[in-house]
Amino acid sequence: MRISADLPTGVAALLFGAARERREMEARLVRELEGSGYAEVILPVLDYAEPYDTLLTAASRGELYRFVDRDGQLLVLRSDFTPMLARLLAPRLASLDLPLRLFYRGDVVRYQEERAGRLREFYQLGAELLCRDGEDPGAADHEALRLFLRLLLQGTSGPVEVVLSFAGALDELLLGAAGDTGLGGPARLATAVARRERGVARQASEALFEVVDAGVPKDPAALGPTAAARLAGLAALRDDVAAEFPEVRLTIDLAEFAHQALHPELLEAVGERAYYDGIVFHAHAGPAGVAVGGGGRYDRLFRGLGAPVSAVGFSLGLDRLLAPGAARVTAQVAEIPEIAEVAT
Amino acid sequence: VIRLALPKGRNLGPVLAALAAAGLVSEGLGEAELGRRLRTTLPEAGIEALSLKDWDLPLYVEHGIADCGFVGSDVLGEVDGELLVPLRLHAGRSRLSLIGKGPDLPAPGSQVRLATKYPATARRVVAERPWGAEIVRLSGSVELAPVLDLAEIALDIVQTGRTLAENHLVELEEVSEVAACMVVNRASFQRHRDLLNRWIGRLEAAGVAS
Repeated sequence: MRISADLPTGVAALLFGAARERREMEARLVRELEGSGYAEVILPVLDYAEPYDTLLTAASRGELYRFVDRDGQLLVLRSDFTPMLARLLAPRLASLDLPLRLFYRGDVVRYQEERAGRLREFYQLGAELLCRDGEDPGAADHEALRLFLRLLLQGTSGPVEVVLSFAGALDELLLGAAGDTGLGGPARLATAVARRERGVARQASEALFEVVDAGVPKDPAALGPTAAARLAGLAALRDDVAAEFPEVRLTIDLAEFAHQALHPELLEAVGERAYYDGIVFHAHAGPAGVAVGGGGRYDRLFRGLGAPVSAVGFSLGLDRLLAPGAARVTAQVAEIPEIAEVAT
Repeated sequence: VIRLALPKGRNLGPVLAALAAAGLVSEGLGEAELGRRLRTTLPEAGIEALSLKDWDLPLYVEHGIADCGFVGSDVLGEVDGELLVPLRLHAGRSRLSLIGKGPDLPAPGSQVRLATKYPATARRVVAERPWGAEIVRLSGSVELAPVLDLAEIALDIVQTGRTLAENHLVELEEVSEVAACMVVNRASFQRHRDLLNRWIGRLEAAGVAS
């Protein structure tokens, strides 16, 4: 009987040289994390489904692989490390010394429509920094962003862009202008802004058009006093970090994160990973500008779990870092057999 | 050099005309010339043009193989991905409509078969209607389905309505306007923002897109 080597949609087997390449990259990144004082946590692949009813948005829950265990428990396969880590740490934080510097690595599984380049199982490596509530969040943001960039530069070559914003940056503009567009609500307007639909943005407001065009409004006051102050803080952080990493292009672009909202009316429409409530960032790397990872501040995730701490973190997709178009030019891997990767 | 994905088929003419009106390519750049080649370098414009089928084009842009391109909003409704969609061209617009033998849409509560090349869009359309439909996915000649009773209705592009009239079909309801849209890769936008915004500005200034 002939046994097929076929695999389910969205998963890949790394064989021989490809496996070695990923492990080598992983080892490099782990050395950097450990050298920066971050300690590893190992989290399970299986978890109860029930906690994620409130921790995740509808879009994120839609990505979950759920099943009923033999004892009748509804379980999920791990789809995101951060909420799982928050859920496990929140009850224990009172007895732990802060700050906590943690990192994790492993597979996450998310259902995605079948499309070229979209995996359903991918390997992530990430870090989280938890500090006492009220401690300078700017310092923690700075530390997390610098670590993210150091890891990114360990993992890629060629051009690297990191786009920065903060959750809720456009809330006031979106809520104020949505009625003028005929789109049917601020959430739809946020989608149009995230897609940089200039016609819609122009119709909504001049400031939103400027955000779509240039990433920030000409007059930050248009964002409202709170968001304007946060934008100034983000610009200072960007300038500081950019001076240290001249090889990385750091850009503030509020349109890119138009969906990362704070206002409840907009929050409903947030897609995946809606727990961010402060700085948010993501990176593109390599000649093809592959999206390789991102992160942000997520204090509200812990607050919702009854543990008021300051939390910021990020993750990198190792499959993405090694993807064609993003891959670092590494030392030649010897003796790579003909079949390096089997993917469906 | 910016890699520009150009669509084969009905949108190519309006796209080339818009690019020429904005001064981004020469007037002489013809459909026939582009259609024959897979890649065309336009050194004076700093453009490498790729000729791609509509349904493949968003994938090339999403994956960063092309920095930007033009594709119909009908296709985007099916395979949108993580693309930026800054502009819609004015020329060459058509409409996505429900068509059938008529005279009316299915009665509330009824269940019909709906033939289309656009199953995802069809599902969204049906979800908002008082009638249900089994979606029959076809890859071409969709108008034939209601003519030959493969399906009661169809969701398809209508340009002039002549094909419908010739086949004794009627446009039951316009679902959306279809336009050729400029699509841009997210990373490319960050990398070439100034240049791409200049292109976009010239297309807007020429009055061919908004």
